[in-house]
Amino acid sequence: MNENIWILMSADAIAIATTLILAALGALFTERSGVLNLGIEGILLTSAISSFLAADASGSIWLGLVVGTVIGAVLASIHALLSVVFRANQIVAGLALVIFGTGLANFLGKPAEGKSITTVIKPLSFGPLSDIPVIGPIVFGQDIITYFAIALAIVASRYLFSTRPGLELRATGDDPATVDAQGLSVARIRIRYTMVGGALVGLGGSWLMLAQSAGWHQAATTNGLGWIALALVVFAGWRPMRIIFGAVLFGFTLQLPFTLQAEQITFIPSAFLEMLPYLATLIALIALSRPGSRNLLGAPRALGTPFVRDER
Amino acid sequence: MRIPFRVVFEQRGETPRRLSFLVPLASVFAALFFGALFLLATGYSPIGTYTNMFRDGFASFNGITDTLALSTVLICTGISAAFAFQMNLYNIGGEGQLYLGLIGGAWAGIALGDHLPTLIMVPVVLLCGALAGAAWIFVPAFVRSRLGTSEIVSTLLLTYIAASLIKHVIYTPGSFFRNPNTSFPQGRMVADSASLESFGSSRLYPTFFVALIIAGALYWVVKRTEFGYRINVISDSPRAAHYAGINARRTTVWVMLISGALSGLAGAMLIVGPYGKIEPSIITLGYGYAGIVVAALARNNLGLIIVSGILFSGLRVGGNNLQVTTDTPIHIGVMLQGAILLFALGGEAFRRYHIHVVRTHDASSKKAPA
Repeated sequence: MNENIWILMSADAIAIATTLILAALGALFTERSGVLNLGIEGILLTSAISSFLAADASGSIWLGLVVGTVIGAVLASIHALLSVVFRANQIVAGLALVIFGTGLANFLGKPAEGKSITTVIKPLSFGPLSDIPVIGPIVFGQDIITYFAIALAIVASRYLFSTRPGLELRATGDDPATVDAQGLSVARIRIRYTMVGGALVGLGGSWLMLAQSAGWHQAATTNGLGWIALALVVFAGWRPMRIIFGAVLFGFTLQLPFTLQAEQITFIPSAFLEMLPYLATLIALIALSRPGSRNLLGAPRALGTPFVRDER
Repeated sequence: MRIPFRVVFEQRGETPRRLSFLVPLASVFAALFFGALFLLATGYSPIGTYTNMFRDGFASFNGITDTLALSTVLICTGISAAFAFQMNLYNIGGEGQLYLGLIGGAWAGIALGDHLPTLIMVPVVLLCGALAGAAWIFVPAFVRSRLGTSEIVSTLLLTYIAASLIKHVIYTPGSFFRNPNTSFPQGRMVADSASLESFGSSRLYPTFFVALIIAGALYWVVKRTEFGYRINVISDSPRAAHYAGINARRTTVWVMLISGALSGLAGAMLIVGPYGKIEPSIITLGYGYAGIVVAALARNNLGLIIVSGILFSGLRVGGNNLQVTTDTPIHIGVMLQGAILLFALGGEAFRRYHIHVVRTHDASSKKAPA
């Protein structure tokens, strides 16, 4: 058996985890503020196609990343407006965003069908370090956004648990009334983090397009990664560091079918392998839930409930 | 930075009747206006696009019959979503349950062959589809009621698994559901006795009336039966339901199973109606997701779903024909669906709250001596 391909698979699993880490961190920031944004999948798709179009028109992949990130924040602001200002049902608002984003992305993607970009985000070069067996391709074979995503998760963890704004963010998700009594604006904090979250999701979608697929494949471009990211937040217990671990784990299940196919291991039906990431997510989700365990897991207590001062 | 005014939301004691009607209507127009701006920006003619959509969706024989045909499916997925939503159970995997309905219905239609008359065969196919849909939601329903696992994520993940299943049964050589006589992968036709005839030259099937009857029957169940009463109590106040001795767990499971069965039924209706076999292209059509929009637009009212289902189908049918008649991308229809729902959600605030803008007095200017 070819050992090389398994090393490559590990490298690819970490690579694909980048989108998951960014999208899940985006969802985590949003949910920590008490807002549930189910529209992640729609934001990923729209950001992906926007970044493609921007990169294609300007010839700069970095401009593509910026445009995708901004579009992510803009779409999330729709959700913030509906759920924070208009106090709409956050679940339905998120689903509306998925449908709207999917339609918008497919509409915008019409001229991009069958096209591909020539310059994609390339792995960084670490010189001789990249030639170290096993560790080389896995640790030193990634691109800058992958390293950025991992660093961001570490910084996010510090930010959430060891800084003043992080404390305010967590308090807004757990006990908005107290935050309000402190003289802080619950609405403003929630809108801010919903948009920051959307920007991170947008970056994840842009990276997926510009580093991984490099072409528009309609809804198959993201293929449910947004939903996996949402489950990943539950899996990680709303803690950034655990997201890295979970994302790599899910990255492996996403990458496994390709590797087994390349190795010509065919005793497992390909349809089953295709289901594997979703099945693994589902099983993890069920295994982590116990009666009344929502708070044990660390879910923000006010998640999904609008804050209204005068109606208490 | 000080903003000189403040927006105040004042909860309404009672919603004026005209608002319940005007708000959804205004949302649709606001979404169409937004869509028009978008069409203009991308270089298409909004008036031409909308005229075509209206003509092909409602104002022609083929248009209106195709719209009613599609609404057959969307009314079913719509009540599937609404039935669960009204109890705060968010089954958003109707899409996957619909795929299973196709598989279950096609299985019955092929396996039972021509032994039974149509009058028995068609109900059996529909029943098998409904059962398959219910089976697909069983795990999410069970773990939701026992462990509190989010049904939102679990039903959705199962949709992706169901899509793989559809592809698997069609593309695997020698599969039971695959047509053995063609090399090109396509579904095997069900027995003739399991197929209904459409009305005249239209593509509208009698299943449309089945959908209407089911919507009516469920409306009756929710309003008039003890089971419906339990659902209402649980959704209004879980605590009151607990003290009243209502078994919320069991009701949760039943409501979700019925919701899954309704989406499965929608799939089976495609088998006895227009498809007659498993069409793998179903996974790109999003009929199950559209059911969520239909339900939300009707605010989960099972009677209004018939109206929003037909309205929505017209939008889809008109949007689909755009690709044929003009070069406007088909996806404008899906985008408008999402936009209408977003505007409807925003509009909801105007229905529930009295919103007014209050001028805030600038503290510094007040200091002027009297």
